[in-house]
Amino acid sequence: MSTGSELPDAVERHLPGETGVWMFIIGDMVIFSLLFSVFVFDRSQEVVLFVEQQRLLNQNFGVTNTLLLLTSSWFVALALHAMRGQDSRTAGRYVASAFACGAGFVVIKYFEWGEKIRAGLTIETNNFFMYYYLMTGIHLLHVFIGLGVLLFLWQMMRRAATSEKDLSLFESCACFWHLVDILWIALFALLYLMR
Amino acid sequence: MNVRNQIICSWAAWAFALMSLIGLLLAGFIPPISPAASDAEVVAVYQQNTLSIRLGVLLVMTSGAFICAFAAAIASQMRRIEGETGPLTMTQLGGGCVSSLVLVFCGVFFTAAAFRPEQAPEMVRLMNDLGWIMLLMTFPPFIIQNISLGLCILSDSSDEPVYPRWVGYYNFWVAVLFIPGGLLTFFKTGPFAWDGLFVWWVPLLVFLSWYVLMPFLTIGAIRKQEPSGVPVTA
Repeated sequence: MSTGSELPDAVERHLPGETGVWMFIIGDMVIFSLLFSVFVFDRSQEVVLFVEQQRLLNQNFGVTNTLLLLTSSWFVALALHAMRGQDSRTAGRYVASAFACGAGFVVIKYFEWGEKIRAGLTIETNNFFMYYYLMTGIHLLHVFIGLGVLLFLWQMMRRAATSEKDLSLFESCACFWHLVDILWIALFALLYLMR
Repeated sequence: MNVRNQIICSWAAWAFALMSLIGLLLAGFIPPISPAASDAEVVAVYQQNTLSIRLGVLLVMTSGAFICAFAAAIASQMRRIEGETGPLTMTQLGGGCVSSLVLVFCGVFFTAAAFRPEQAPEMVRLMNDLGWIMLLMTFPPFIIQNISLGLCILSDSSDEPVYPRWVGYYNFWVAVLFIPGGLLTFFKTGPFAWDGLFVWWVPLLVFLSWYVLMPFLTIGAIRKQEPSGVPVTA
Protein backbone atom coordinates (compact mmCIF):
# COMPACT_ATOMS: atom_id res chain seq x y z
CA MET A 1 0.00 0.00 0.00
CA SER A 2 1.65 3.17 -1.05
CA THR A 3 0.33 6.68 -0.93
CA GLY A 4 1.46 9.45 -3.22
CA SER A 5 3.82 10.92 -0.69
CA GLU A 6 5.72 7.66 -0.40
CA LEU A 7 6.40 7.42 -4.10
CA PRO A 8 9.72 9.31 -4.25
CA ASP A 9 11.16 6.89 -1.70
CA ALA A 10 9.88 3.86 -3.56
CA VAL A 11 12.42 4.36 -6.33
CA GLU A 12 15.84 5.15 -4.97
CA ARG A 13 17.30 7.88 -7.09
CA HIS A 14 20.95 7.75 -7.95
CA LEU A 15 22.89 10.35 -9.88
CA PRO A 16 26.03 8.69 -11.21
CA GLY A 17 29.17 10.59 -10.26
CA GLU A 18 29.27 14.01 -8.65
CA THR A 19 26.85 16.85 -9.21
CA GLY A 20 29.75 19.07 -10.28
CA VAL A 21 30.63 16.76 -13.16
CA TRP A 22 27.09 17.03 -14.43
CA MET A 23 27.34 20.82 -14.28
CA PHE A 24 30.44 20.60 -16.45
CA ILE A 25 28.79 18.15 -18.84
CA ILE A 26 25.66 20.25 -19.21
CA GLY A 27 27.72 23.41 -19.56
CA ASP A 28 29.83 21.80 -22.24
CA MET A 29 26.75 20.56 -24.05
CA VAL A 30 25.24 24.05 -23.97
CA ILE A 31 28.33 25.40 -25.72
CA PHE A 32 28.32 22.58 -28.26
CA SER A 33 24.61 23.23 -28.91
CA LEU A 34 25.50 26.84 -29.55
CA LEU A 35 28.24 25.74 -31.97
CA PHE A 36 25.84 23.33 -33.71
CA SER A 37 23.20 26.08 -34.00
CA VAL A 38 25.70 28.46 -35.57
CA PHE A 39 26.72 25.70 -37.98
CA VAL A 40 23.12 24.95 -38.97
CA PHE A 41 22.43 28.66 -39.44
CA ASP A 42 25.52 29.25 -41.60
CA ARG A 43 24.72 26.09 -43.51
CA SER A 44 21.24 27.40 -44.28
CA GLN A 45 22.90 30.48 -45.84
CA GLU A 46 25.04 28.33 -48.17
CA VAL A 47 23.15 25.04 -48.48
CA VAL A 48 24.42 24.27 -51.97
CA LEU A 49 28.07 24.70 -50.99
CA PHE A 50 27.68 22.70 -47.77
CA VAL A 51 25.92 19.78 -49.47
CA GLU A 52 28.46 19.77 -52.29
CA GLN A 53 31.45 19.91 -49.95
CA GLN A 54 29.97 17.26 -47.66
CA ARG A 55 30.33 14.74 -50.50
CA LEU A 56 34.11 15.17 -50.21
CA LEU A 57 34.07 13.68 -46.73
CA ASN A 58 35.01 10.04 -46.39
CA GLN A 59 31.96 8.38 -44.85
CA ASN A 60 33.94 5.20 -44.09
CA PHE A 61 36.20 7.08 -41.68
CA GLY A 62 33.17 8.71 -40.08
CA VAL A 63 31.26 5.47 -39.63
CA THR A 64 34.30 3.57 -38.33
CA ASN A 65 34.95 6.28 -35.78
CA THR A 66 31.32 6.25 -34.65
CA LEU A 67 31.51 2.49 -34.14
CA LEU A 68 34.80 2.82 -32.26
CA LEU A 69 33.41 5.39 -29.84
CA LEU A 70 30.17 3.49 -29.31
CA THR A 71 32.16 0.33 -28.58
CA SER A 72 34.45 2.16 -26.18
CA SER A 73 31.43 3.58 -24.35
CA TRP A 74 30.10 0.03 -24.06
CA PHE A 75 33.44 -1.11 -22.61
CA VAL A 76 33.32 1.73 -20.07
CA ALA A 77 29.80 0.65 -19.06
CA LEU A 78 31.00 -2.96 -18.69
CA ALA A 79 33.99 -1.77 -16.65
CA LEU A 80 31.71 0.14 -14.31
CA HIS A 81 29.55 -2.93 -13.91
CA ALA A 82 32.62 -5.04 -13.09
CA MET A 83 33.82 -2.45 -10.63
CA ARG A 84 30.48 -2.41 -8.85
CA GLY A 85 31.00 -6.15 -8.42
CA GLN A 86 34.41 -5.43 -6.82
CA ASP A 87 36.14 -7.10 -9.77
CA SER A 88 38.82 -4.50 -10.44
CA ARG A 89 40.90 -6.85 -12.61
CA THR A 90 38.10 -7.29 -15.17
CA ALA A 91 37.20 -3.60 -14.87
CA GLY A 92 40.81 -2.69 -15.67
CA ARG A 93 40.73 -4.87 -18.75
CA TYR A 94 37.55 -3.23 -19.99
CA VAL A 95 38.99 0.24 -19.38
CA ALA A 96 42.08 -0.73 -21.40
CA SER A 97 39.82 -1.91 -24.24
CA ALA A 98 37.92 1.37 -24.12
CA PHE A 99 41.23 3.21 -24.27
CA ALA A 100 42.31 1.16 -27.28
CA CYS A 101 39.10 2.11 -29.12
CA GLY A 102 39.61 5.77 -28.22
CA ALA A 103 43.20 5.65 -29.43
CA GLY A 104 41.93 4.03 -32.64
CA PHE A 105 39.62 7.01 -33.07
CA VAL A 106 42.63 9.35 -32.90
CA VAL A 107 44.59 7.28 -35.42
CA ILE A 108 41.69 7.30 -37.87
CA LYS A 109 41.24 11.03 -37.40
CA TYR A 110 44.93 11.44 -38.27
CA PHE A 111 44.46 9.58 -41.56
CA GLU A 112 41.19 11.33 -42.29
CA TRP A 113 42.65 14.80 -41.80
CA GLY A 114 45.80 13.77 -43.69
CA GLU A 115 43.71 12.69 -46.67
CA LYS A 116 41.85 16.02 -46.66
CA ILE A 117 44.98 18.13 -46.31
CA ARG A 118 46.72 16.26 -49.15
CA ALA A 119 43.65 16.97 -51.28
CA GLY A 120 44.18 20.68 -50.54
CA LEU A 121 41.15 20.95 -48.26
CA THR A 122 42.14 22.99 -45.20
CA ILE A 123 40.51 25.12 -42.53
CA GLU A 124 40.72 28.10 -44.90
CA THR A 125 39.20 26.39 -47.96
CA ASN A 126 35.59 27.35 -47.31
CA ASN A 127 32.98 27.61 -44.56
CA PHE A 128 32.11 23.94 -44.66
CA PHE A 129 35.70 22.87 -44.10
CA MET A 130 36.17 25.57 -41.49
CA TYR A 131 33.38 23.97 -39.46
CA TYR A 132 34.63 20.48 -40.30
CA TYR A 133 38.08 21.14 -38.82
CA LEU A 134 36.84 23.23 -35.92
CA MET A 135 34.09 20.88 -34.80
CA THR A 136 36.16 17.71 -35.20
CA GLY A 137 39.18 19.52 -33.70
CA ILE A 138 37.37 20.72 -30.58
CA HIS A 139 35.91 17.24 -30.24
CA LEU A 140 39.37 15.71 -30.65
CA LEU A 141 40.56 17.86 -27.75
CA HIS A 142 37.79 16.24 -25.70
CA VAL A 143 38.96 12.80 -26.87
CA PHE A 144 42.49 13.55 -25.67
CA ILE A 145 41.23 14.69 -22.27
CA GLY A 146 38.98 11.61 -22.19
CA LEU A 147 41.92 9.32 -22.94
CA GLY A 148 43.76 10.89 -20.02
CA VAL A 149 40.71 10.21 -17.86
CA LEU A 150 40.64 6.56 -19.01
CA LEU A 151 44.32 6.20 -18.22
CA PHE A 152 43.59 7.54 -14.75
CA LEU A 153 40.79 4.95 -14.35
CA TRP A 154 43.09 2.21 -15.54
CA GLN A 155 45.70 2.92 -12.90
CA MET A 156 42.90 3.22 -10.33
CA MET A 157 41.84 -0.32 -11.23
CA ARG A 158 45.42 -1.55 -11.06
CA ARG A 159 45.62 -0.59 -7.43
CA ALA A 160 42.17 -2.17 -6.95
CA ALA A 161 40.53 1.00 -5.65
CA THR A 162 36.89 0.03 -5.24
CA SER A 163 35.65 1.96 -2.22
CA GLU A 164 32.36 3.89 -2.27
CA LYS A 165 34.31 7.11 -2.97
CA ASP A 166 36.29 5.48 -5.78
CA LEU A 167 33.06 4.26 -7.31
CA SER A 168 31.69 7.80 -7.42
CA LEU A 169 34.94 9.00 -9.02
CA PHE A 170 34.77 6.16 -11.53
CA GLU A 171 31.20 7.13 -12.43
CA SER A 172 32.19 10.78 -12.91
CA CYS A 173 34.99 9.77 -15.28
CA ALA A 174 32.72 7.34 -17.14
CA CYS A 175 30.16 10.13 -17.61
CA PHE A 176 32.81 12.30 -19.22
CA TRP A 177 33.72 9.55 -21.66
CA HIS A 178 30.05 9.11 -22.57
CA LEU A 179 29.89 12.86 -23.18
CA VAL A 180 32.77 12.52 -25.67
CA ASP A 181 30.77 9.78 -27.37
CA ILE A 182 27.45 11.59 -27.48
CA LEU A 183 29.01 14.80 -28.81
CA TRP A 184 30.60 12.82 -31.62
CA ILE A 185 27.27 11.28 -32.56
CA ALA A 186 25.63 14.70 -32.85
CA LEU A 187 28.65 15.99 -34.75
CA PHE A 188 28.74 12.99 -37.07
CA ALA A 189 25.08 13.44 -37.94
CA LEU A 190 25.50 17.16 -38.63
CA LEU A 191 28.74 17.04 -40.62
CA TYR A 192 28.58 13.71 -42.44
CA LEU A 193 24.92 12.85 -42.76
CA MET A 194 22.67 15.92 -42.79
CA ARG A 195 21.33 16.52 -46.28
CA MET B 1 44.58 35.84 9.74
CA ASN B 2 44.21 38.97 7.70
CA VAL B 3 40.50 38.65 7.00
CA ARG B 4 39.98 42.27 6.12
CA ASN B 5 42.82 42.42 3.59
CA GLN B 6 41.58 39.27 1.94
CA ILE B 7 38.07 40.66 1.64
CA ILE B 8 39.36 43.93 0.18
CA CYS B 9 41.37 41.93 -2.37
CA SER B 10 38.21 39.99 -3.24
CA TRP B 11 36.32 43.22 -3.89
CA ALA B 12 39.06 44.07 -6.35
CA ALA B 13 37.50 41.53 -8.70
CA TRP B 14 34.27 43.50 -8.85
CA ALA B 15 36.23 46.71 -9.35
CA PHE B 16 38.01 45.02 -12.24
CA ALA B 17 34.80 43.72 -13.87
CA LEU B 18 33.05 47.08 -13.59
CA MET B 19 36.00 49.21 -14.67
CA SER B 20 36.99 47.08 -17.64
CA LEU B 21 33.40 46.87 -18.83
CA ILE B 22 32.96 50.65 -18.60
CA GLY B 23 36.28 51.10 -20.39
CA LEU B 24 35.31 48.78 -23.24
CA LEU B 25 31.93 50.49 -23.63
CA LEU B 26 33.47 53.96 -23.52
CA ALA B 27 36.04 53.01 -26.17
CA GLY B 28 33.20 51.68 -28.31
CA PHE B 29 34.81 48.24 -28.36
CA ILE B 30 31.55 46.36 -27.72
CA PRO B 31 31.08 44.98 -30.36
CA PRO B 32 34.77 44.95 -31.45
CA ILE B 33 36.14 46.65 -34.55
CA SER B 34 35.78 43.96 -37.21
CA PRO B 35 38.97 42.13 -38.23
CA ALA B 36 37.54 42.30 -41.76
CA ALA B 37 37.43 46.13 -41.75
CA SER B 38 39.59 47.92 -44.31
CA ASP B 39 42.48 50.25 -43.44
CA ALA B 40 40.27 53.25 -44.10
CA GLU B 41 37.47 51.95 -41.90
CA VAL B 42 39.79 51.26 -38.99
CA VAL B 43 41.43 54.68 -39.31
CA ALA B 44 38.01 56.34 -39.43
CA VAL B 45 37.05 54.69 -36.13
CA TYR B 46 40.22 55.97 -34.45
CA GLN B 47 39.96 59.46 -35.96
CA GLN B 48 36.31 59.92 -35.04
CA ASN B 49 36.52 58.50 -31.50
CA THR B 50 40.08 59.42 -30.56
CA LEU B 51 39.31 60.82 -27.12
CA SER B 52 36.81 58.16 -26.04
CA ILE B 53 39.16 55.38 -27.19
CA ARG B 54 42.07 56.92 -25.28
CA LEU B 55 39.97 57.20 -22.12
CA GLY B 56 38.30 53.82 -22.43
CA VAL B 57 41.57 52.03 -23.10
CA LEU B 58 43.20 53.81 -20.15
CA LEU B 59 40.41 52.44 -17.94
CA VAL B 60 40.73 48.91 -19.32
CA MET B 61 44.49 49.00 -18.75
CA THR B 62 44.14 50.34 -15.21
CA SER B 63 41.52 47.73 -14.33
CA GLY B 64 44.15 45.04 -14.93
CA ALA B 65 45.85 45.97 -11.65
CA PHE B 66 42.89 44.59 -9.69
CA ILE B 67 43.37 41.15 -11.24
CA CYS B 68 46.59 40.70 -9.24
CA ALA B 69 44.87 41.55 -5.98
CA PHE B 70 42.05 39.10 -6.59
CA ALA B 71 44.43 36.34 -7.63
CA ALA B 72 46.20 36.92 -4.31
CA ALA B 73 42.90 36.66 -2.39
CA ILE B 74 42.20 33.33 -4.08
CA ALA B 75 45.76 32.21 -3.39
CA SER B 76 45.29 32.94 0.33
CA GLN B 77 42.34 30.56 0.33
CA MET B 78 44.06 27.96 -1.83
CA ARG B 79 46.88 27.86 0.70
CA ARG B 80 44.41 26.57 3.24
CA ILE B 81 43.86 23.56 0.97
CA GLU B 82 47.42 23.03 -0.21
CA GLY B 83 49.62 24.33 2.57
CA GLU B 84 52.13 27.17 2.53
CA THR B 85 54.20 26.08 -0.46
CA GLY B 86 51.49 24.61 -2.67
CA PRO B 87 52.46 24.64 -6.36
CA LEU B 88 48.87 25.05 -7.60
CA THR B 89 48.52 28.14 -5.41
CA MET B 90 51.61 29.66 -6.96
CA THR B 91 50.57 28.67 -10.48
CA GLN B 92 47.21 30.35 -9.98
CA LEU B 93 48.82 33.52 -8.65
CA GLY B 94 51.31 33.55 -11.52
CA GLY B 95 48.53 33.07 -14.08
CA GLY B 96 46.54 35.89 -12.51
CA CYS B 97 49.49 38.29 -12.58
CA VAL B 98 50.34 37.52 -16.19
CA SER B 99 46.65 38.02 -17.11
CA SER B 100 46.99 41.49 -15.67
CA LEU B 101 49.89 42.13 -18.05
CA VAL B 102 47.73 41.08 -20.98
CA LEU B 103 45.47 44.03 -20.25
CA VAL B 104 48.44 46.36 -19.87
CA PHE B 105 49.90 45.36 -23.24
CA CYS B 106 46.63 45.50 -25.12
CA GLY B 107 46.19 48.94 -23.58
CA VAL B 108 49.59 49.96 -24.94
CA PHE B 109 48.76 48.81 -28.47
CA PHE B 110 45.31 50.42 -28.60
CA THR B 111 46.80 53.61 -27.22
CA ALA B 112 49.52 53.58 -29.87
CA ALA B 113 46.77 53.37 -32.52
CA ALA B 114 44.82 56.25 -30.94
CA PHE B 115 47.98 58.27 -30.20
CA ARG B 116 48.54 59.44 -33.78
CA PRO B 117 45.39 58.47 -35.70
CA GLU B 118 46.51 60.75 -38.55
CA GLN B 119 49.59 58.62 -39.28
CA ALA B 120 49.86 56.07 -42.11
CA PRO B 121 46.64 53.98 -42.13
CA GLU B 122 48.48 50.67 -42.20
CA MET B 123 50.26 51.65 -38.96
CA VAL B 124 46.97 52.39 -37.20
CA ARG B 125 45.58 49.15 -38.53
CA LEU B 126 48.60 47.17 -37.33
CA MET B 127 48.37 48.61 -33.83
CA ASN B 128 44.65 47.92 -33.79
CA ASP B 129 45.32 44.31 -34.84
CA LEU B 130 47.96 43.93 -32.13
CA GLY B 131 45.56 45.27 -29.51
CA TRP B 132 42.77 42.81 -30.35
CA ILE B 133 45.09 39.87 -30.77
CA MET B 134 46.76 40.66 -27.43
CA LEU B 135 43.39 40.94 -25.71
CA LEU B 136 41.64 37.89 -27.14
CA MET B 137 44.17 35.34 -28.33
CA THR B 138 46.10 35.23 -25.06
CA PHE B 139 44.15 32.46 -23.35
CA PRO B 140 47.04 30.56 -21.67
CA PRO B 141 47.56 32.73 -18.56
CA PHE B 142 43.79 32.86 -18.03
CA ILE B 143 43.18 29.14 -18.32
CA ILE B 144 46.20 28.19 -16.22
CA GLN B 145 44.64 30.25 -13.45
CA ASN B 146 41.29 28.44 -13.80
CA ILE B 147 42.77 24.97 -14.16
CA SER B 148 45.12 25.27 -11.18
CA LEU B 149 42.28 26.62 -9.04
CA GLY B 150 39.93 23.86 -10.25
CA LEU B 151 42.45 21.12 -9.51
CA CYS B 152 43.16 22.54 -6.09
CA ILE B 153 39.46 22.73 -5.20
CA LEU B 154 38.91 19.11 -6.27
CA SER B 155 41.91 17.98 -4.21
CA ASP B 156 40.30 19.44 -1.08
CA SER B 157 39.31 16.39 0.97
CA SER B 158 38.54 18.10 4.26
CA ASP B 159 35.11 17.79 5.87
CA GLU B 160 34.48 21.47 5.41
CA PRO B 161 35.96 22.29 2.00
CA VAL B 162 37.18 25.83 1.35
CA TYR B 163 35.24 26.12 -1.91
CA PRO B 164 32.25 23.91 -2.86
CA ARG B 165 33.35 21.14 -5.22
CA TRP B 166 31.21 22.33 -8.11
CA VAL B 167 33.34 25.49 -8.26
CA GLY B 168 36.22 23.25 -9.38
CA TYR B 169 34.23 21.97 -12.33
CA TYR B 170 32.92 25.44 -13.06
CA ASN B 171 36.54 26.61 -13.40
CA PHE B 172 37.31 23.81 -15.87
CA TRP B 173 34.30 24.85 -17.91
CA VAL B 174 35.45 28.48 -17.93
CA ALA B 175 38.93 27.35 -19.03
CA VAL B 176 37.49 25.38 -21.95
CA LEU B 177 35.56 28.42 -23.13
CA PHE B 178 38.67 30.60 -23.36
CA ILE B 179 40.55 28.18 -25.61
CA PRO B 180 38.74 29.16 -28.87
CA GLY B 181 40.50 32.55 -28.56
CA GLY B 182 43.52 30.83 -30.06
CA LEU B 183 41.56 30.23 -33.25
CA LEU B 184 41.26 33.91 -34.14
CA THR B 185 44.54 33.58 -36.01
CA PHE B 186 42.71 31.80 -38.86
CA PHE B 187 39.67 34.01 -39.41
CA LYS B 188 38.57 37.49 -40.40
CA THR B 189 34.84 36.67 -40.28
CA GLY B 190 32.54 34.12 -38.70
CA PRO B 191 32.09 32.74 -35.17
CA PHE B 192 35.84 32.25 -34.58
CA ALA B 193 36.99 35.66 -35.78
CA TRP B 194 37.89 38.06 -32.95
CA ASP B 195 34.45 39.67 -33.14
CA GLY B 196 32.73 36.27 -33.37
CA LEU B 197 30.50 34.37 -30.97
CA PHE B 198 33.16 31.99 -29.62
CA VAL B 199 36.09 34.38 -29.40
CA TRP B 200 34.36 37.53 -28.22
CA TRP B 201 30.79 37.15 -26.94
CA VAL B 202 30.95 33.83 -25.08
CA PRO B 203 34.37 34.48 -23.46
CA LEU B 204 33.38 38.05 -22.53
CA LEU B 205 30.22 36.88 -20.75
CA VAL B 206 31.94 33.92 -19.11
CA PHE B 207 34.91 36.05 -18.07
CA LEU B 208 32.72 38.69 -16.46
CA SER B 209 30.57 36.00 -14.83
CA TRP B 210 33.72 34.51 -13.30
CA TYR B 211 34.78 37.88 -11.91
CA VAL B 212 31.30 38.48 -10.50
CA LEU B 213 30.79 35.00 -9.04
CA MET B 214 34.24 34.07 -7.70
CA PRO B 215 34.47 36.98 -5.21
CA PHE B 216 31.21 35.84 -3.56
CA LEU B 217 32.60 32.34 -3.20
CA THR B 218 35.97 33.60 -2.02
CA ILE B 219 34.46 35.95 0.54
CA GLY B 220 32.27 33.03 1.68
CA ALA B 221 35.42 30.94 2.13
CA ILE B 222 37.18 33.75 4.03
CA ARG B 223 34.23 34.16 6.38
CA LYS B 224 34.09 30.43 7.06
CA GLN B 225 37.76 30.61 7.95
CA GLU B 226 37.17 33.33 10.54
CA PRO B 227 33.48 33.56 11.39
CA SER B 228 34.01 36.28 13.94
CA GLY B 229 36.45 38.28 11.89
CA VAL B 230 38.64 38.43 14.98
CA PRO B 231 42.22 37.31 14.42
CA VAL B 232 42.90 33.94 15.95
CA THR B 233 46.41 32.81 16.57
CA ALA B 234 46.88 29.09 16.56
